[in-house]
Amino acid sequence: MFSTKSFSRFGRATALALENPVRHMASTASTGPTSYAALEARLNIKFKDIGLMERVCTHKSFEQGRLPSNDRLSWLGKRALNLYVGEYLQLKYPNLVPETLQDVQHANFGITSLAEVARHFGMQPVMRWKSVSKDAPKVGLTKVLGKSVQALVGAIYQDQGAQMAKQFVHQHIIQSRPIEVENVVELKNPKVMLRALMKQKNMEPPVARILKETGRFTSSPVFIVGVFGGSRMVGMGYGSSLKMAEYRAAKDALLKHYAKEIKDIEIEGDDADVTFIPQSEIDGVSARTYN
Amino acid sequence: MATFRLPNVLNEVIHAHKNQLIRPIKPKNGVNSFVFPCRKIVFNYCERSGSSKAILEYLRKDAIQFAKNNPQIEVIVQPRPSRHPVIRAFYVNGKHKEKCVRKCSADEIPEVVKSLRDHSGHRLQRWKQYVISDTPSVRGIYSPFHVKEVHQITDQKPQK
Repeated sequence: MFSTKSFSRFGRATALALENPVRHMASTASTGPTSYAALEARLNIKFKDIGLMERVCTHKSFEQGRLPSNDRLSWLGKRALNLYVGEYLQLKYPNLVPETLQDVQHANFGITSLAEVARHFGMQPVMRWKSVSKDAPKVGLTKVLGKSVQALVGAIYQDQGAQMAKQFVHQHIIQSRPIEVENVVELKNPKVMLRALMKQKNMEPPVARILKETGRFTSSPVFIVGVFGGSRMVGMGYGSSLKMAEYRAAKDALLKHYAKEIKDIEIEGDDADVTFIPQSEIDGVSARTYN
Repeated sequence: MATFRLPNVLNEVIHAHKNQLIRPIKPKNGVNSFVFPCRKIVFNYCERSGSSKAILEYLRKDAIQFAKNNPQIEVIVQPRPSRHPVIRAFYVNGKHKEKCVRKCSADEIPEVVKSLRDHSGHRLQRWKQYVISDTPSVRGIYSPFHVKEVHQITDQKPQK
């Protein structure tokens, strides 16, 4: 009744396939042209090149690199992705040092994080790759998944242009997850750092004052300490000892400064705004023909 | 708390692995973008047996339209001779669900397919916390230390 062919007359719009008869339920082919069509539709992408999604999901380790793989796409995609992430982070966190911006980008948009994004897209069962060792078939999966997301960005960039790639990155990768900054900012000696920071900002040197306290001579005291620059409170911390509370207050002050984020940012420099047509032509004042 | 000074080599090791200690953050489905949870539906049926009659009718009539309406789902039709018909659904989070449709009539099968399609893939569990959020309260959790002192217990008598 049904022949064992895939319904190619529907093109890529439908992912319907017929498979050979099986005895056991587990033996269903995990990848085929339909899985890539479905993946495209799930992410609202329409590649002009039909085989591109298959290429994105093929790692070089598959079949000893004989088939077209995603390594060049992932090279391009990594740079495009880091550009869009970088311009977003730079506007969002105005007080971070470049080293910390790099750390934030690595922690939140590095390969390990992108692997989670790939799992969320459902790319893991569709990936074509091979592990280094037979005994450990899953070693290297994270890196392969991370690279495939980079390759996906690269493929969109190549196939549909920078604007679509930027939109994709913003929608699916940047703004669908919270960005962790406070764990990444390195504050080894917060009291020393705070003193230096306040000197840099021409503020009075920090003074710690007890705001609230309870149970001072008991087994479980609580001190709430505020660090002040002049009459303005800069940071506040709690602790079971005065030293610990002061430490936390200094850390709080530093985080308030460094991890300050701007809620609504507008990224300028989009392609759509840039034009080389002079304003008079746009207004239609003079009609000219260019040879 | 006295500052604990580690030897330099250990510091370097910790610094090198600093970012690996952070657990990667999972995307939240629905925030800014939505990925449909059901990725694949497989129809297993037998050409000859009687229990597969209803699903065969479904496959003739509605299956292609279902696949057209859901381009994000990979629809696979796979004969499984001499077995009862089964519809299997695979989800993006790695889980899968099967429903044997040997007893279903032709009207019930589209409903089965719809319920499998609409499932999120997560196991059915009893939630103790109905709302899970990174930002539980808009104005912050109440703290008595951050209120303007309205009531004060003092020795002084109120001035008239």
